[in-house]
Amino acid sequence: MFGYFIRRMFLLIPTVLGVTLIVFSLMHVSGDPIRLLFGPNVSEEKVQEKREELGLNRPIYVQYWNWLTRMVQGDLGNSIHVQDRVSNLIVARIGPTFELTVSALLLTVLISIPAGIISAVRPYSVIDNAARFVALFWVSMPYFWLGIMLMMLFGLVLDWLPISGRGGPLWTLRGIRYATLPIVTLGLPPIALFTRLTRSAMLEVVNEEYMRTARSKGVGETAVIVRHGFRNVLIPIVTLLGLRLPWLFGGAVITETVFAWPGMGRLLVGAVMERDYPVVQGVVVVIALVTVLANLAVDLTYTFIDPRIRYN
Amino acid sequence: MIRFFRSREFRRFLRNRLAVVGLGCVLLVSVVAVFAPHIAPYRPTAMDFDSLLLAPSTRHLMGTDMLGRDIFSRVVHGSRYALIIGIGVVGLQMVFGGALGLAAGYLGGTIDTTVMRIVDVLWSIPAIVLALALAGALGGGITVMIIAIAVTGWGQFTRLMRGQVLQLREMDYVSAAQAAGAGIPRILFRHILPNSLGPVIVYATLEMPVAILWSASLSFLGVGAQPPTPEWGALIADGRGLISFAWWVSTFPGIAIMITALGFNFLGDGLRDALDPKFERRI
Repeated sequence: MFGYFIRRMFLLIPTVLGVTLIVFSLMHVSGDPIRLLFGPNVSEEKVQEKREELGLNRPIYVQYWNWLTRMVQGDLGNSIHVQDRVSNLIVARIGPTFELTVSALLLTVLISIPAGIISAVRPYSVIDNAARFVALFWVSMPYFWLGIMLMMLFGLVLDWLPISGRGGPLWTLRGIRYATLPIVTLGLPPIALFTRLTRSAMLEVVNEEYMRTARSKGVGETAVIVRHGFRNVLIPIVTLLGLRLPWLFGGAVITETVFAWPGMGRLLVGAVMERDYPVVQGVVVVIALVTVLANLAVDLTYTFIDPRIRYN
Repeated sequence: MIRFFRSREFRRFLRNRLAVVGLGCVLLVSVVAVFAPHIAPYRPTAMDFDSLLLAPSTRHLMGTDMLGRDIFSRVVHGSRYALIIGIGVVGLQMVFGGALGLAAGYLGGTIDTTVMRIVDVLWSIPAIVLALALAGALGGGITVMIIAIAVTGWGQFTRLMRGQVLQLREMDYVSAAQAAGAGIPRILFRHILPNSLGPVIVYATLEMPVAILWSASLSFLGVGAQPPTPEWGALIADGRGLISFAWWVSTFPGIAIMITALGFNFLGDGLRDALDPKFERRI
C-alpha cells in the first residue's frame, strides 16, 4: 500500500509539470504583461526597468525554470496590484474555500445517498420517478443564477439569511447563517445526480446472492441494506465523487463570486479582471494541485472500501 | 431521411416523453433565434430613459433594465448568442478532440500516450477555472470565450472517439478493408468514423448545455460577452446588483438558459436511450 502510494506520487509529477506548463503559458498568450500593466502611455525606460525587475527579459525557458523552482520552494511571486506575496494571499483564502467546498460535498452526500437507497428499496415510487427529471433539471441550471434566486428568496423576500460575505468560522451560529446560502448553492445541484447513481448501484446489488443469504439468516432488512448492500455501492459513489471534484472547485469559483465569499475563487476572478497574472497563475496551480491530490485520495480510499482491491 | 423516420430508433425516441419535450424546447429556442428580430418588439440595445426598471407589464413582457432596455427583446436576441456559442464550442471540440482521438486510437504508440497524457493534464485543472484564466488572458469577448471553452474541454471527445476506434478496429469489416489494401485515411473515414457517429452525436447534444452554461458563467464573471451584447449570462450579471428592487432583470434570462439547457439535456438523454438501448435504465 505504501509502495503504491509512493509510486502514484511519482506518477503525478508529469501531470503536475504539464499543469505548470499550461499555467505558465497563460501569461504569455496575453501578449506583453508589462504593457498590459502600464498601458500604452509609458516611457520605454520604465518598461525596461519593470521587465528587468520581474525577470521578463530572459529567454522563456529560463523564465519557466526560475518560476518553477521558486514555486517548488513555496514562492509564488508577488502580486502586481496588491503589495503582498501571492502565497500569503492564497493562504488567507484557502480556508474559506475548503469550508465551502467540503460542506457542500457533505450536504450532497448526506442527502443523496439515503435518498438513493430509499428509491432503490422502493423502486418506481414517487422519489424514483422524480429523480431522473430532477437530476436533469439541476444540471441545466447555472450556479450563479441559482445563487441569485436563493438570495432573493431567503435573503430578501423572507429575510431569513444574510446574502453576502462570511460571518466567521462554521462552528459559530453567525458563521453558519452566512454560509448556508453559498453551501446550498454549491451542494444542491449534484444531489440528484448522486441519488440516481446510488439508486442504480443499489438496484444492481439488491438481489445479489449475498443479500439473499443475509436475509435467509434472519438479518433484518435495514441491516441487510446498510451492512451488506451499502458497502458494495460505495465504489461507484466514490468514483463519481472523484469525477465531480473539478466541478466542485469550478462551482466554488462562481459561488464565491456571487456571495462575496472571501475564498480563492473570488481572488482568482478579481485577479483575472485586473490581469494580476502572478496571482492567476498561483491560484490555478494551487486549485489544480488540490484536485490532483484529492483524486489520488479517492483512488486510495478504494482499498479501504473494498479489501479485495489491492495495489501492488 | 424517410428511412430514419420509420426506424426502430426513431419510434423508441418518440415513446420517451421527456425526449420529445426536449426536442420541443430545442426547436422552440432555434425558431426564436432565427426569427429574433421579428419576435422582439424592441431593438435589444435601444435605451429608453423614460422607462427605467419597469416591472413586467403588457408593454414590456419581462420589464426593463436600468437603461430602459426591454428585457424580453434582449432575452429573445440572447438565444442567438447561446446557440452560436454552443455550436461553435461543441463543433470545435468535436473536430479537434475527435480527430485527436481518432489518431490516438488508430495509430496507438507514442501518439496515443502523448495525446492521452495531455487529456489527463487538462482533466486535472477544473475546466471553468482554466477557461476563465485563458479568456481573461486573451482579453475577453465572445470569440475568445468560444476558443477558451473549446480549448479546455475537448478531452472528452478525444476519450470517446479513442474508445470507439479501439473497439471498432477489431471488427471484421475493418480487417477485411485492411486485407483489401485500404489505406489508413480510407479505413478511418469510410469505416470507423461513420460507425462511431451515434455516441458522438449523443455526446455532442449533451455537451451543448454544458457549453451554454459555461459561456453564461464566463460572461457573468466578466470575461465573456461584453456590454451591451444581450448574452444571457451578461443579462443576469446586469441585474445582480438590482435584486432588492428589480427581481425581473436577472430572473428571466436565467429561465431562458434553463429552458435551453434542459431541452438539450432531455434530448441527449432520449437520444442515448434510443441509440443505445443497453444503456437504458442503468442510470
